[in-house]
Amino acid sequence: MSAAQHQALVLGSVSFVAFVFFLCFLLPSKRTKFSVFAACNLLFVALVFGAVALVDLSGGRAEIMVAVMMELPVVLIVAWVCLALAGGLPDLPGNLPAEPVARRPWLRAVLGSAPLILLLSVGLATAVGLVWPSPALRVYAPAPPQFVVLKALIMAPEWFYSGLAAVVFVMAGRASGLKRRFYFKNLAFSVGMGCIALIAVESTVFAGLRVWLSGGNRGAILEILNTVEACLAITCILAFAAGLSLRYTPAVATTLLHRLQTGWLRAQEQFESLEWQAVSTVAADRLTHASDAVVEACRIKGLSESETQRALATIRLVAVMRDPSSETQHITPDAARELYELQQEILCDDVLASKISWAAGWRSRAHEPQTVKSAPLHDALKAALDLVDNDGESEGVRTPPLWYYIVAVSAADAKMIDPAPVSMQLRDGAEHRAAVEAYDDARRVLRMLDDQRPRMEDRPG
Amino acid sequence: MNVEAPKRDLTGPFLNRLAGFWRPLRNLSAARSHVNGTRSLLTAAEFQEELAILGLSGRRFEPEDYSDALADYLDISIAVHVIPDSWYPELTRLLAFSGRLGELRYSEQLNMAAIFVPGSLPPLVLTLTILHELGHLAAGDLLIEFDEQPDEDDQHAEEAKFATLPLKKGTKLARGNPFAEESLREREANLRASYALFAGCLGDDSPHAYDMYDVL
Repeated sequence: MSAAQHQALVLGSVSFVAFVFFLCFLLPSKRTKFSVFAACNLLFVALVFGAVALVDLSGGRAEIMVAVMMELPVVLIVAWVCLALAGGLPDLPGNLPAEPVARRPWLRAVLGSAPLILLLSVGLATAVGLVWPSPALRVYAPAPPQFVVLKALIMAPEWFYSGLAAVVFVMAGRASGLKRRFYFKNLAFSVGMGCIALIAVESTVFAGLRVWLSGGNRGAILEILNTVEACLAITCILAFAAGLSLRYTPAVATTLLHRLQTGWLRAQEQFESLEWQAVSTVAADRLTHASDAVVEACRIKGLSESETQRALATIRLVAVMRDPSSETQHITPDAARELYELQQEILCDDVLASKISWAAGWRSRAHEPQTVKSAPLHDALKAALDLVDNDGESEGVRTPPLWYYIVAVSAADAKMIDPAPVSMQLRDGAEHRAAVEAYDDARRVLRMLDDQRPRMEDRPG
Repeated sequence: MNVEAPKRDLTGPFLNRLAGFWRPLRNLSAARSHVNGTRSLLTAAEFQEELAILGLSGRRFEPEDYSDALADYLDISIAVHVIPDSWYPELTRLLAFSGRLGELRYSEQLNMAAIFVPGSLPPLVLTLTILHELGHLAAGDLLIEFDEQPDEDDQHAEEAKFATLPLKKGTKLARGNPFAEESLREREANLRASYALFAGCLGDDSPHAYDMYDVL
């Protein structure tokens, strides 16, 4: 067995052990497209080195073929990483590109060209090697100038793309507000790709020295360079392993987000917009008096703005749900209950419930953003369902707030709901009496205002 | 949405034919374009790419920020008018009767878009309505060349449903061309609105934003 065969046997064994380790420990825990590719690549490397170890291929064109095959795994890794950064092949929807790449179409195009350019350069280098064979596998043997051309054809694009990928990883890691784990992950990959770029430079220099360097210290210099290359290769592998092992689980899963978009958001938007349409068209006249009285009663009792908004939302819902016209047919107790249950699902997740919010108005910083919990609709749905589905049970509302009593009194007075079950439900307590008094006062105030309005309008000038 | 298109100059059929030759060449250079006549609806991941282009990916943002970033990118001015009901009560009633929640007007000559929404809309609906109309601008729905409707008889039903239309000269954020069918354009504008709302709320907690920093 020659020295080259012995070296190939060692490298092949190491690659095979790495493949088995990867298959048993890394792949089951994180199966990404890249990890599967990396495993296949390791197997390919093990097979190539194994073939070199078993068959003495030194000399002639066979040596060139084997040398090129041994370069291929690294070339494939670089091509794959560039493709991953670009978000997949052009014209084929794939994964998301890296954030800095998405912002720069030219960068995406350059990275996307990596597989083509790299494989073309390998092909060209193979052709050069086959036309002018050189001792590619004999590491320290003197080589003809064509060997530098062969090496440079492979290494120049490899240096360019791996260097570019390293820069892109740094750009991705330096994004403002990024979680620290992503910073280190991208930094690790950047170091890995940087090492490949340096190996490409070192490899070309090494080939040049094999051609032009002579004298006593030739062997020593080549050995130093070989050691540097080995160190870079080990650093590269460690950096990639560190990058792959750094994992992050987002606070909100994709499936949950999809469910929220297609479930809750769609339901709430449809419900609120249909309710708005119904209030703006058919139920408007019916509602005016009741809602004015509710607002005035809330004002008399000194209730807060948010409580008044809840009362108003509830009386609107009750009016629309009780309206017999076809325009309001979609706002049913069943639809309200379904939406309320979807909201409850979100509220069970504290993180999610606190994050999902929307502005109370356009370019309005005066009001706090609304959340599922703080928006008037949530409490209004529950209150309206309690009032409309008055089966005597009001689970969850043990001691209703004052605004609820005011709405109940107002809705009963406007014949939107049956007053008898409501009285039973509210048990004629002190809060109920206070609400009745406030409502009566509100009606009186509104009547006085109504009486004054025509007189003011009749006044000349 | 409504478009105030300027009168076409009489460049004649020669230039139109030339544009027809140019389009496939232009598409060759566009990475991952879907301008070959058909495409599927926008996904959350594709929307995240749009956010990255606007510089909003991984950040928490308000609809106002999205509007400003989109206006900068499209190089147009976007004005959002929330009309109080007391000003024009009839506007609210008319919109409600027609089943619409907002109105988008676009003038190519003035290089500006205006969105009108009634102030009485519930906050969530108001936000989504504005984002929906902004979604039409992002998709380039207002740049459609309506005189180049595809011949649907020549296509399969499924394909026709997702057919796209070519655009007039102008900038759009979306990679793909707008759908030929209006219902699909509306559906995609709804999707954009919901994606924008969640992306703005979640910031870097969005799983799609996280994917852009973890490509391997």
